[in-house]
Amino acid sequence: MLRLILRRFISLPFVILSVTFLTFIVSYLAPGDPILALMGNQRDPEIYARLRTLYGLDLPWYQQYGEYLGGLLQGDLGLSFRFAQRPVIELIQGGLPVSFGLGLTALSLSVLIGIPLGLVAALYHNTPAERLIMALILALYAIPSFVLIPILQWINYQVYLATGWSLPAAGWGRPEHWVMPVVVLSAASLGYIARVTRSSVREVLEQDFIRTARAKGLPERRVRWTHMFRNAALPILTVIGPAIAFLVTGAFVVESLFSIPGIGFLSVQAIQQRDYPVIQGTTVILALSVVLMNLVTDLLYSVVDPRVRLEG
Amino acid sequence: MKAKRNLLLVIVSFLLVFSLAASPIAAQDTTTLRWSIEGITDVVSLDPARATDAQGFTVIGLLHAGLVRLNGALEVEPDLAESWVISDDGLTYTFTLREGAAFSDGSPVTAEDVVWSFTHALDPATGAWTGPYLLSNIAGSDELVAGETTELSGVTAVDERTVQITVKQPSAYFLSQLTFGPSKVVSSAAVTANPDTWDQAAVTSGAFSVQTWNRGQGLVLVPNPNYWQPASQISTLDIVFNQDSETAFQLFRTGELDIVGGAQNPLPAARVPEVRDTPDFVSTNALNVRYVAFNNLLPPFDNVLVRQALAHATDRETLANVVLDGTVTATDRIIPPGMPGSEAPVEGLAFDPALAQSLLAEAGIDPATFEVTLSYGVEGDNERIVTVLQAMWQDNLGISVTLDPLELSTFSSRLNDTYNDPANGLQAYYSVWGTIYPDPQYFLSQILQTDVGNNNGHYSNAEFDALTQEADVIPDDLARRIELYNQAEQIAVTEVGWLTLFNGQVNVLVRDCVEGVEVTGLFSAYVVPDYTALRGCPAS
Amino acid sequence: MSRTPPNTGIVRLHTPSDIAPAAPIGLFRRLLRSRLSVISLLVFALIVLLAAFGPVVYTQSATRPDYAAINAIPSAEHILGTDNLGRDTLARLLSGLRVSLIVALYVETLNILLGATLGLLAGYYGGILDVLVTRVADILFAFPGLLLAILVTAIFGSSVTEQFGGIGRLMLVAGSLSLVSWPLMARLVRSQVLVLREQEFVTAARSLGATHQRMILRHIIPNVGGIIIVASTLDVASVVVNEAVLSLLGLGIQPPDPSIGKMITDAIPYLETNAWQVFFPSAALMLIVLTVSFLGDGLREASDPQAR
Repeated sequence: MLRLILRRFISLPFVILSVTFLTFIVSYLAPGDPILALMGNQRDPEIYARLRTLYGLDLPWYQQYGEYLGGLLQGDLGLSFRFAQRPVIELIQGGLPVSFGLGLTALSLSVLIGIPLGLVAALYHNTPAERLIMALILALYAIPSFVLIPILQWINYQVYLATGWSLPAAGWGRPEHWVMPVVVLSAASLGYIARVTRSSVREVLEQDFIRTARAKGLPERRVRWTHMFRNAALPILTVIGPAIAFLVTGAFVVESLFSIPGIGFLSVQAIQQRDYPVIQGTTVILALSVVLMNLVTDLLYSVVDPRVRLEG
Repeated sequence: MKAKRNLLLVIVSFLLVFSLAASPIAAQDTTTLRWSIEGITDVVSLDPARATDAQGFTVIGLLHAGLVRLNGALEVEPDLAESWVISDDGLTYTFTLREGAAFSDGSPVTAEDVVWSFTHALDPATGAWTGPYLLSNIAGSDELVAGETTELSGVTAVDERTVQITVKQPSAYFLSQLTFGPSKVVSSAAVTANPDTWDQAAVTSGAFSVQTWNRGQGLVLVPNPNYWQPASQISTLDIVFNQDSETAFQLFRTGELDIVGGAQNPLPAARVPEVRDTPDFVSTNALNVRYVAFNNLLPPFDNVLVRQALAHATDRETLANVVLDGTVTATDRIIPPGMPGSEAPVEGLAFDPALAQSLLAEAGIDPATFEVTLSYGVEGDNERIVTVLQAMWQDNLGISVTLDPLELSTFSSRLNDTYNDPANGLQAYYSVWGTIYPDPQYFLSQILQTDVGNNNGHYSNAEFDALTQEADVIPDDLARRIELYNQAEQIAVTEVGWLTLFNGQVNVLVRDCVEGVEVTGLFSAYVVPDYTALRGCPAS
Repeated sequence: MSRTPPNTGIVRLHTPSDIAPAAPIGLFRRLLRSRLSVISLLVFALIVLLAAFGPVVYTQSATRPDYAAINAIPSAEHILGTDNLGRDTLARLLSGLRVSLIVALYVETLNILLGATLGLLAGYYGGILDVLVTRVADILFAFPGLLLAILVTAIFGSSVTEQFGGIGRLMLVAGSLSLVSWPLMARLVRSQVLVLREQEFVTAARSLGATHQRMILRHIIPNVGGIIIVASTLDVASVVVNEAVLSLLGLGIQPPDPSIGKMITDAIPYLETNAWQVFFPSAALMLIVLTVSFLGDGLREASDPQAR
């Protein structure tokens, strides 16, 4: 297990290098440029040319990328183009805890509710209970967040009209600000997790060793917990890892519509503004968290099922 | 059955969380004001020289004072300068600073600070574009911007309280330009102490200073006791950033905000009908115009008949009053109502499909083979509007129109291409132009003179150029300037330099009980003419 | 690696015929045994028929504005009402269905071809292949796909639109997004294969000298089918919704053509004044997700070797 961790950490620089390179080259090639985005409608060719030089955008791409890497080695993610001279690391530091906090809360909630729901649905296969759960979960899953949010806001407003009390419609800083965003974020991932849990468990239930165990007369509870859940756990774990990355990036609608100072929206805005240093910074952070989460889930695999052999 | 119980549990716990988390709205009184700024997650910078966003300039207007400022009628009035004298040739402005004017840290505002502020705004090391763009008339600005010198020769401190500014050309709108962002006066001591982070601290020259800046959320402003006017009655001014206008609306209607909407991000059009008749709704003409520009260097748009045909095929009244439900005002000219120069009439090209068809025929174009690609940046209501234009042109002319939606940054770079390389540029595009100072120069000379930086469609007319260039440098005779601009505008309208469609409305919500805030049609909508008269809402 | 067999280890050896992939006709017959599957199949077939022939039968224009009937509620003239430009909602829904179904089918095909195949091979063979696939997946997972979509539309957008129209453009963008969305499918399949690989019937078959090709075809694929079906049916909803998000940035379907997602985003600002316009396309989206998902379940059960 130590070897696995060690090897993953050795591959880390390679991952980061590839991520920054791909991101850089694609944002460099994509049309649009940070100076034009900065200047909006007003465009003066002379000022434009001067600013390009000032920001180093007139250099060939390999030189721009080289300078970025040089800074990265010293832990410097560069300065944002849009937010005049602000270090990218500072922008990310501000948003990261918010997005992760929100994402992890939503994830825990959807795991805590989604896995039991999926289990129940799998064990009570072909009963009205299962169909009801699945239909509800799928409906919740299929409602896009940009539809769910206005509906919640409307309900919130009706509550306000009736009682004079309501949840804050947006904003950040107080505990009650978390409620609506967490509900919206969990709604989708809850459906996904419940669905994958159900099918993984079904898959395992139909395997021979479960039938065999049952045939041997083992108590049903033991069959379920020692055989079924352990084997179904792997695919479920797999969903949880990437779900975190999803929550960070997928938070973009939620962060934007609830005015939350997170990182998801920061990165989408940076892409629209072609703010290269911020795009790269957020991508690196995201890549790190994905790699880390995958490492954790892989380690959990071997805890759950020691027979599973992992490379890498 | 177990599943049902689980589900019930989930619902019950959600309701529980909901009821626990619900909280009463914070108590309000007349000394608190909660002001939403939409379309951003954070202001770019609080340094007046570095800010680039309209929203940031709204905040900067509250924090930093300039030599002069605009009042609610958009006229220039004294701010940090108590008076000024313009030389007879219109080239030298001599300002006298107010006695006792001071920054929020108590240090006096000196003539040296003024000189330093202008230099800072034009210094290439600042890395800004607004200064070089707006202050280019100041003598010596080019040399400073180009990095040939570090001194701004056109701005000098005559003594402690006297500043002299020399300009290259006489200009009637130079004082108006000084009311805006990069001309605000900052403390040289504070900036040089922390060049990159000083804007986070509270040293300001205006009516308010920063108490806290919650990154990505908002600002808490408090009155600056050292401002030359008595301190504002507002003890806490909460500035709240909301990326989405609808979100701001939600906060307003659940009682959490007092001011919502701006010129760049007005109230969502879909919300206007339900608030139109409430006392909180304020609506005024925006000093901006939405238009379609054609690439005049690409056939057949080089033919004035073709451009006129498209203009006559456009039913602006239906667009503004039916499709957009009267939330905007149809226009067939360039200068928006409310701007100096808009009182002189211009004859537009009326909606007339029959005339449009005959013009197209006269141009020798077979509608069946005429294909127009109309590009636009995807944002706000743009798509609805171009879809209507497409239907109108197709129905009224029998031509075929393709819509080309572009992601915003791609759109601006395609405009840049169209300027630099017209042959490979856009055919026609839909966009908006708004002003930051109220002078016709900003609406005519800046956009349609041959080869000026914003003339992406390459419209060119020698007579238009001559008229506007003459008007630009007349220092004082406003009547004469308007006469010249009016002739120029008529040419551009008749030749369809731009096919203008409608003027926006600044639709905002300001709680009826709020006092002292004027809503204008400017780039950064709000003007507070007298900070001492500013009042929030009493506790309900 | 530990090879302790589970304590329940009575190994029943599969003979190949036992787990051979079901013949299509038998599969279909078994599918029809479940009532839910039959209903889903009928509803889904109806949706497909509507998408295919609806616009031919219902001849109202999906793109023509009617300024006299903006945001109209359902009436005799406009059965499902009109949108914010007075365009007939039923007509838009019918052609929008077609667009969304084609795009969903296309994206899921790409996803399965790329993600499931790579995940399966990585999980089965392990070694350097596994390292390579998982690392590349890690990298692509963090990569901002939006950038790729912007680049692709900018370079190929106009020429593709000229030749294949709005749907062509959309498929181009969606295809570029699949490039960065396959890793999730790959990881799901890989983890399932990791479990299968150690299962008794697989180790037994291997010890009996089955070739890799045979192992994969006979033992692995039938057992990962379920997770692939579930993941891709679930993904249908996000594809439809993502297309709408892309149009918000000018990268989706080309206006004035409709798609289900686009209809929803266009109608959202009017939710409180004309909820019908949000309701109809959302209901269509939900119906697609539910039927596809139940159908996927049915298929999985019907094809399951043990559940016959």
